[in-house]
Amino acid sequence: MNKTPEQMNEDLLRPVFHTTWRFWATVGVLLSVIAAAGLALSYQVWNGIGVWGIDRPAFWAFDITNFVFWIGISHAGTLISAILRLANATWRRPVTRCAEVITLWALMIGGMFPIIHLGRPWLFFWLAPYPNERGIWPQFRSPLMWDFFAISTYITGSAIFLLYPIIPDWALVRDKSSGWRKKFYTVVSLGWRGTPKQWNRLEMAMKIMAVVIIPVAVSVHSIVSWDFAMAPVPMWHSTIFAPYFVCGAIFSGIAALIIAMAIIRKALGLEDYMKRLHFENLGKLLLVMSLLWFYFIVSERLTTWYGNEPSEMAVFWSTQIGSFSPLFWTMVCCNFLIPVPLLAIKKLRTITGTVIASSTIIVGMWLERFLIIVPSETHKYLPYAYGSYRPTWVEITITAGTFAAMMLLYVLFAKFVPIISIWELKLGERKPVVSPQLSVVASDLPALAEPTGLATDS
Amino acid sequence: MTVDLDRCTGCEACVVACRAENNVPTAGPDQAARQRAIHWIRVERYWEGEFPNARLRFQPVLCQQCDAAPCEAVCPTYASYQNPEGLNAQIYNRCVGTRYCANACPYTVRFFNFYNPVWDKPFHLQLNPDVSVRSVGIMEKCTFCIQRIKAAEIQAEAAQRELKDGEFNPACVQSCPTKAMVFGNLNDPESEVSRLSQSTRGSKLLEEVGARPKITYLARESAPEEGGATS
Amino acid sequence: MDRRDFFKISALTGATAALDSCGKPERQLIRFIPEEDLVPGVATWKPSICTLCPAGCGLIVKVMEGEAEVVRNGKLGLMPMGLAKKLEGNPNHPVNQGKLCPRGQAGLQLTYHPDRIKTPLKRSGERGSGEFQEIGWDEAIKELAAQLSALQSSQESASLAFLTSPLRGQRRELVERFLAASGAPRPTEWAFLDDAVLRRANQLSFGRPQLPTFDLAHANYVISFGADFLGTWNSPVAQSIAYGEMRQGRSGRRAKFVMVEPRVSLTGANADEWISARPGTEGVLALGVAHVIIGEKLRPASGAGGPAALIEGWPQGLPDFSPDLVEKRTGVPAATITRIAREMAGHEPAIAMIAGAPLAETNGLWSAMAVNALNALLGSVGQPGGVLFTPDSAAAPPKPSQASREGLPQPLQALAQQALSGRPNPVKALLVHDANPVFASPPAWRIREAIENVPFVASLGSFLDETSILADLILPDHSPLESWLDDVPESGTMQLAASVAPPAMLPLHSTRAMPDVLLDIARQLGGPLSAALPWKSFDEMLHAGFVDLGERLGTTNAKGADDFWKKVQAQGGFWATETKLAAPKDPNSVGRAKAVAPSDPQFQGDEQGYPFYFLPYASQMLYDGSLAHLPWMQETPDPLSTAMWGTWVEINPKTAARLGIRQGDLLEVASQHGKLRAPALIYPGIAPDVIAMPIGQGHESFTRYASTRGANPISILAPLTEPETGSLAWAATRVKISRVGEGKLTLFGGGLSRFPHEIETR
Ligand SMILES: Nc1nc2c(c(=O)[nH]1)N[C@H]1C(S)=C(S)[C@@H](COP(=O)(O)OP(=O)(O)OC[C@H]3O[C@@H](n4cnc5c(=O)[nH]c(N)nc54)[C@H](O)[C@@H]3O)O[C@H]1N2
Ligand SMILES: Nc1nc2c(c(=O)[nH]1)N[C@H]1C(S)=C(S)[C@@H](COP(=O)(O)OP(=O)(O)OC[C@H]3O[C@@H](n4cnc5c(=O)[nH]c(N)nc54)[C@H](O)[C@@H]3O)O[C@H]1N2
Ligand code: SF4
Ligand code: SF4
Ligand code: SF4
Ligand code: SF4
Ligand code: SF4
Repeated sequence: MNKTPEQMNEDLLRPVFHTTWRFWATVGVLLSVIAAAGLALSYQVWNGIGVWGIDRPAFWAFDITNFVFWIGISHAGTLISAILRLANATWRRPVTRCAEVITLWALMIGGMFPIIHLGRPWLFFWLAPYPNERGIWPQFRSPLMWDFFAISTYITGSAIFLLYPIIPDWALVRDKSSGWRKKFYTVVSLGWRGTPKQWNRLEMAMKIMAVVIIPVAVSVHSIVSWDFAMAPVPMWHSTIFAPYFVCGAIFSGIAALIIAMAIIRKALGLEDYMKRLHFENLGKLLLVMSLLWFYFIVSERLTTWYGNEPSEMAVFWSTQIGSFSPLFWTMVCCNFLIPVPLLAIKKLRTITGTVIASSTIIVGMWLERFLIIVPSETHKYLPYAYGSYRPTWVEITITAGTFAAMMLLYVLFAKFVPIISIWELKLGERKPVVSPQLSVVASDLPALAEPTGLATDS
Repeated sequence: MTVDLDRCTGCEACVVACRAENNVPTAGPDQAARQRAIHWIRVERYWEGEFPNARLRFQPVLCQQCDAAPCEAVCPTYASYQNPEGLNAQIYNRCVGTRYCANACPYTVRFFNFYNPVWDKPFHLQLNPDVSVRSVGIMEKCTFCIQRIKAAEIQAEAAQRELKDGEFNPACVQSCPTKAMVFGNLNDPESEVSRLSQSTRGSKLLEEVGARPKITYLARESAPEEGGATS
Repeated sequence: MDRRDFFKISALTGATAALDSCGKPERQLIRFIPEEDLVPGVATWKPSICTLCPAGCGLIVKVMEGEAEVVRNGKLGLMPMGLAKKLEGNPNHPVNQGKLCPRGQAGLQLTYHPDRIKTPLKRSGERGSGEFQEIGWDEAIKELAAQLSALQSSQESASLAFLTSPLRGQRRELVERFLAASGAPRPTEWAFLDDAVLRRANQLSFGRPQLPTFDLAHANYVISFGADFLGTWNSPVAQSIAYGEMRQGRSGRRAKFVMVEPRVSLTGANADEWISARPGTEGVLALGVAHVIIGEKLRPASGAGGPAALIEGWPQGLPDFSPDLVEKRTGVPAATITRIAREMAGHEPAIAMIAGAPLAETNGLWSAMAVNALNALLGSVGQPGGVLFTPDSAAAPPKPSQASREGLPQPLQALAQQALSGRPNPVKALLVHDANPVFASPPAWRIREAIENVPFVASLGSFLDETSILADLILPDHSPLESWLDDVPESGTMQLAASVAPPAMLPLHSTRAMPDVLLDIARQLGGPLSAALPWKSFDEMLHAGFVDLGERLGTTNAKGADDFWKKVQAQGGFWATETKLAAPKDPNSVGRAKAVAPSDPQFQGDEQGYPFYFLPYASQMLYDGSLAHLPWMQETPDPLSTAMWGTWVEINPKTAARLGIRQGDLLEVASQHGKLRAPALIYPGIAPDVIAMPIGQGHESFTRYASTRGANPISILAPLTEPETGSLAWAATRVKISRVGEGKLTLFGGGLSRFPHEIETR
């Protein structure tokens, strides 16, 4: 990269300091979608959850699909970023913040569903352990309780993981701004002066967090999978679910990251920072995940088919050739048949190629969650109790709202925070770039003492 | 409880009796069409064969009062729990409506109030004051007519005596014309239900799922190929 | 916001607050002082009688304190009162022994139905428009009395007609007396599912114009020709109780049960062997069985006595009914016929029964007599484990009354013709009670037109249905639970039984019991009417009737009369304690009657143009349609189809596949008399050339729950009858079907079979 630190400051702080009409237009459009979803949600709370299409036996559908989907997306950031950090992949520098913020927002959006999907959402706090007049604790055997702990831990950890490295950048903004911005960024930069002690602590904290957050992330999606696997429901009750879900989560997370980067790159004019190299590297990761995902689904389906257990076979056939089969085969195309050539053939592994692959994967992974949940519910053991499911406008609007909310939060984040970690980028620039590959580069750590004043230079 | 499939005719007297006893709400045509009708007990029908050899079997299905109830473990608020008598109780006030239990129940016998129930006036006057009405967002299911159990227990206690076998019955059992259902205390080896549940015709519904249901189904018999009564 | 706005807003909020508190209508209600002693929270169980079908089961009603909006002296107010909460079978009643069918359970909803007629109504718009004006009882009674006295004074009393559902007990006595003293003809009774053909057959065969009682609990072999005895026919609760015993009540002995019908009914689903015979050939099949029994000398032909004497060819050993010939006519394999004959003869006591569609053919009477003869051959008549008759109900109140007259009442279609003809004796006034023939009769009878032709029509019903909506005056009846009731079950028990019950609760609305209305009118008109009906109220009449019964049976004397009356009220009736097996009487008709020749069933519609037999059947929940207004019945899944809130057309899977019809497709079913549309239900247990449909839906006007819901199979029936009884042959229509689009089918149940491979049923 042949940008000077000044150019970097200029390029990366521009979105923070300058607001274009495009920003307002985007915010406007997204807000109106979110408002529609908000209205739909109020309508639901007011009238009862019957305004959704859920029924008996499809007690869960879009709600829990969205929950699993967004929690899955959250695995884009913190987990990948932590792995890359620990692996010391230098190419990661323009990517990590982009990724980490996805985690936080996706967790917030996904974490909302266990609340809004309740029949009596105003009593959501009964799910939390707190001393209360009813004198009872929640049921700790319920995977929903585990969700509560897992997600709250993950969200806290991810927030810390995201926020710590932002502090020096906020200090940079503070130093370069005036007026209300000065006041605002003075507060949020928490008195960062860039002293060696502060740098040391930051780096130490990040190291610890990177190590801690990986098992948390893995556990979160394992637990989400256990929401299903712990219930004796045909094709839910499966040992493969935890790794399958974690794999799916990382898979969809990377896809989301690629799309987010592509949009940011164009929208904020960061073509010089997020290059084909980044997309190619992430694309390779995505390829690995796609193959892994396929491996999991084949293992799952093949063992079910051989097991030939009647109730499981009812679910199996309903997805392979029955009413859910159009969705199933669309999913296979989206998650495997389309992305694999795009990602495996070097010529196609371009920015456009990876973005197309990621887009189909997002669709495919949403479908995957839906297909895990609904066909099993509608084909439980007693055929007399079989049923079907059809969504209503309310669920569809709320689902659209979650995508809009994701984008809006992202846009706002990019407005208030430099979307690429400036100090980390500068840090990287000071060392010779050994190789743009996934190889481990000699440690950056010696540089730690140097960046004194990084935040205050120029 | 035992359910004798050789006696059951599929008449559904039990279904209406339960509805009347337990203030089960009427969904109405639109909600029923959306698969939201509530019947704590239902009579499942299964066809076998083709005309002219088509056969039909009935099987009343209600909450099986599982000993290892999957619905209990998954309920985050203890709304679904095992009471000290071994009954799978449903505490409406505690339920927040996750619907997890309904998914976990292998028998799909749990029903959800997608809306607040409506009783067109003056149908509300027929509500049984001994049973609470469930509002929107709450899961409900067969309680083994716990209000009848409690009432009988209190009466027996007041009279300082033991409950007699068959002294009272849940509404469905009471109504059943063929006496297909027998209710009683499984802990009492002398009770009729204990005796019947030992029958060689007995089996549990979906035993392989491992929920350890308490209801024993007695198999329907078939007449021998040639001839009438078995003797 | 300026000052004006502020005032506006405060005025608005103030008004809302006011509306919210004392403005709520219920707070303006008067609070009435309770009229009865009640302990809140404590249930009392009161006896009553189920009136929903002719079985006449005994009820006990759980009554608890509650607060209801009631009308007293024209004022609406809140009153703490005893409210019926649940119905259970009366455990002491000899018919139903503590049990009820699903319909009986739902009888509770009759009382609390939101669309009950709550006060007398006078027509204010066009006939049939449904526009009525509320009037007071005094005015209503005066109006009716005026109409009747006008007829009397113009010597036209004979042109008064009374149309009712079949009546029994003191109610029948009251109506008969009322009409006789008015100089009017006997009441025309109408029920779609009447059993006139079987009563006639039993009179001919056994001298008892009565429905039989089957001792299933002790039977070893049962064959039913179309009789839905576990669902809707005769005394289903009593029969179900006995069925349970027949299956598992005797250790080591379990009867075999064979069902003959072209569509698996609720009862057929419980059979060990299910046989589909061509519609209308059930009697042929019965005689085929008899032929084998006689031919193989399993029973002597002469043992069949009187009933057999009525069957042509019996003394010759039924030469026309060899298994081969019977196979040709019925479609049932000869080997099956022979086997069943041997099984039946080898497993006495054996029962053969016939009812439903086989008797609703033009040759129904002959089929019934054939089955009677088979029973006689098997020696089952009057024997334990066989076919019995409830002890003569004539012994129960009323005792043979001076009012009852010779001759059969005029059947519905004759009444209609009379009303339409204008001559010789046109119907000038019509009283309708608890009958809805406009809904439940074939269109060719033109009942609606006939009623519209009557200058004055009064209804004594509780709901606006297709018939009562045509009335000029409506005098709404109490609900059964609010009424004094009595009944004399015709069958279902081997004990003589006469039920009676006081009201289980006070009336909710400004209604009056039909018998009391007639007594009122009689008092107002005076003369022979008040002489024939000297009682002030119906309960007085019941009191007198039951005391008289007690005295006649020697159960009580004049001194103990009050105790007796109290006791029967408390237990819900009188029943003779010892079980007497009522033997059939030696029919004096047998000697006279000529043997009846078999006749082939007639169907309307040729086989080419109308390729399917059309089989309407009584619905387990809606019965004959008279219960379609009860939401509990609408929402309880039909046991076989699992359908709720609608009608459907049952079709064999292969036939459906051949015609490209899929589950839920909207079909048009057309006969020569009309067409209807309903969704298809693929039904594995129906013959390929039969189309079946439940009766009950398709009401034009019958409360918010039943109106314009589904289709009415009766509306396309041909007007064929069984010639001797004039009974409607409702299974004698042929139809054609075509797919006309997508339909809507609401099913509670999913998969059709226990281990489906690929189940996509919903
Ligand atoms: N609409 C209507 N009006 C009624 C009745 C009815 O049924 N309906 N019932 C009537 C009858 S029977 C009665 S007894 C009266 C009762 O009439 P009130 O005596 O007015 O009864 P409450 O409204 O129950 O309570 C009065 C207040 O006492 C407060 N309070 C509670 N505990 C304490 C305490 O320890 N110390 C103090 N200082 N305050 C406390 C409560 O918060 C409340 O604000 O109402 C009569 N009026
Ligand atoms: N949760 C709660 N419980 C309470 C209280 C509270 O504040 N909260 N307050 C307590 C107090 S202070 C009281 S006084 C009690 C009141 O408790 P209750 O005495 O149960 O009060 P009510 O429901 O007002 O009246 C009882 C019944 O009497 C009927 N009634 C009215 N007039 C007459 C009549 O002339 N004759 C007869 N036979 N019946 C009539 C009414 O319709 C009603 O059904 O409740 C106590 N219980
Ligand atoms: S049958 Fe279902 S609801 Fe009943 S205890 Fe078992 S799991 Fe729970
Ligand atoms: S729906 Fe209610 S009872 Fe069921 S798991 Fe959730 S909180 Fe528990
Ligand atoms: S036991 Fe009671 S609650 Fe359960 S199905 Fe029977 S009547 Fe309903
Ligand atoms: S009431 Fe008895 S016979 Fe009728 S369906 Fe229920 S269990 Fe079967
Ligand atoms: S059979 Fe059913 S509807 Fe008929 S009288 Fe008995 S309980 Fe009532």
